Amino acid sequence: MTAAAELIGVTQRFGSFTAVDEIDLAVPSGKLTTLLGPSGCGKTTTLRMIAGYSAPTSGTIRIDGIDSTRTPPEKRNLGMVFQSYALFPHMTVADNVGYGLKLRKVPSAERRSRVMETLELVGLAHLADRKPKKLSGGQQQRVALARAIAIRPKLLLLDEPLSNLDARLRVQMRAEIRRIQAETKLTVILVTHDQDEALEMSDEMVIMNEGRIVQQGSPQQIFPRPADRFVAEFLGYENFLTAADGTPLTIRPEHLRLAEKGQGLDATVVDVAFRGVDLLVSLEVVDPSGATVRLLADVRGGATLTPGSSVTVIAPDDHLVSLPR
Amino acid sequence: MKRPITAALAVIGYVIMIVPIIFVVATAFTAGSTLRFPPDGISLRWFDEALGYEPFIEAAISSLELAVLATALALLLGVPVTLAIHRGKLPGKGLVEGLFLSPLIVPELVVGLALFQQLMVGLGLDNFSTLLVGHTALMLPYAVRVTGASLALADPVLEEAARGLGASPLRAFFNVTLPVLRPGIFSAGLLSMVTSVNNVPLSLLLQGRDFRTLPVTMLDYVQQSYDPMVAAASTLILAATVVIAVIAERTVGFAKIFGGINQ
Repeated sequence: MTAAAELIGVTQRFGSFTAVDEIDLAVPSGKLTTLLGPSGCGKTTTLRMIAGYSAPTSGTIRIDGIDSTRTPPEKRNLGMVFQSYALFPHMTVADNVGYGLKLRKVPSAERRSRVMETLELVGLAHLADRKPKKLSGGQQQRVALARAIAIRPKLLLLDEPLSNLDARLRVQMRAEIRRIQAETKLTVILVTHDQDEALEMSDEMVIMNEGRIVQQGSPQQIFPRPADRFVAEFLGYENFLTAADGTPLTIRPEHLRLAEKGQGLDATVVDVAFRGVDLLVSLEVVDPSGATVRLLADVRGGATLTPGSSVTVIAPDDHLVSLPR
Repeated sequence: MKRPITAALAVIGYVIMIVPIIFVVATAFTAGSTLRFPPDGISLRWFDEALGYEPFIEAAISSLELAVLATALALLLGVPVTLAIHRGKLPGKGLVEGLFLSPLIVPELVVGLALFQQLMVGLGLDNFSTLLVGHTALMLPYAVRVTGASLALADPVLEEAARGLGASPLRAFFNVTLPVLRPGIFSAGLLSMVTSVNNVPLSLLLQGRDFRTLPVTMLDYVQQSYDPMVAAASTLILAATVVIAVIAERTVGFAKIFGGINQ
């Protein structure tokens, strides 16, 4: 696996605040990598350092094997899509997409055909002569993508590209970006705070917290095996309990099962929320270490559950994840 | 009840502002030979007279010359300063902005007297150069305020986007930021010209035998002869100002020009 971009011991400080704290990262070539984390975790700062908009306080950034730590953005040949899209308001869609090619002195006939080809790829060829202001948010997003792709960048960098779109469009665009990535075979780095987006889109996920990388791997590797409590909580593991030997454990609500009697933990129902397809049952449980904890079980059926009733909670071993102490 | 009072004040305000103007415009069209309301008949003879009166024409040309030069200087100085205030890492931005807006507050008579003492008496500059300095200073607030208003609308990420696509910082500025600022610079220029042409205090204090602006010449004329030619000249100036104001409103909008920068 070759790295399209490599960060070695990269740190970014703003005054006394450390935004990115000595991270090492290898971005696999031809894949879609997401930087995932809550706001302020350093993911956008990391992306901006890769793009060249801010120089790291220390550390090395290699792009395509070449040390680019101090290279200005205009010499990096990377395509960037900004959260606000940043389309040039005084230029048409075609001129926006062709701007990078014009700077590269691509002859106008070739430029026109490459612009149209790229607009075709994002499905906007029919809007080439419009001004950005006349487009919907989703269309502006596609123009921004086309503009970044048209220069045939070494990397395509996407900074929270879907966060300004409404929920339905956001889900559509996830598939759309995946399709474009597959067709162009570009190396893509996508910054997001939305774990569903990251799980659905990523080949490789990099989870960040407080300026550090806390876990890296494919969604299939990470989702069932969160490395620590932060990652577990971030990925929707709601239940935390302690084993008899003191090991912290976690399990997802949908993996807990409820029974009337049997091998498991004794629990009292605290609250039952009806959610259509399933029930969200809030339970008070004495865990194996003897502590009383609140657990959430996401179950189907179970009409007899009422607050105050006693049940047995079964946490299947193959779904229990042990976390570092 | 707040509304009736507000409405009444607005009406009084409009009456106070507009009625005198109506009188001037009406008397300009008189067929008679005195400034009187209502006018004695209607004719264009005084417009004819005003346009044929050499001191007025000469002064009008002087006024325009001064206005164009002062505006150009104010923009050349004001636009980079605005960029530095809004985008740069200038220490004491607020202070710098305050300095450039201060000509709006400092009484023009004081400015005029200071310029007279320092530049004309002290350095021996001629009255045109001194007037040019004074008018340029007077225009600076417009240059800073109006371009600042349109700069606030321009997303700073635009320049980053241009650089990411391969543009040098200078190129990004000329290809992206400047075109976004163009309407603002344009209306700042128009407003500056209007302010310069209409200015009396500075132009009066710094007048000289060989260089006089139109308002000063008109003031002189009124002191000697009281006829409708001045009303006709005023009406012509008013018409030109209205045209310019409409253009400024169409390109940027008064709300943005006179409202807060961060609105």
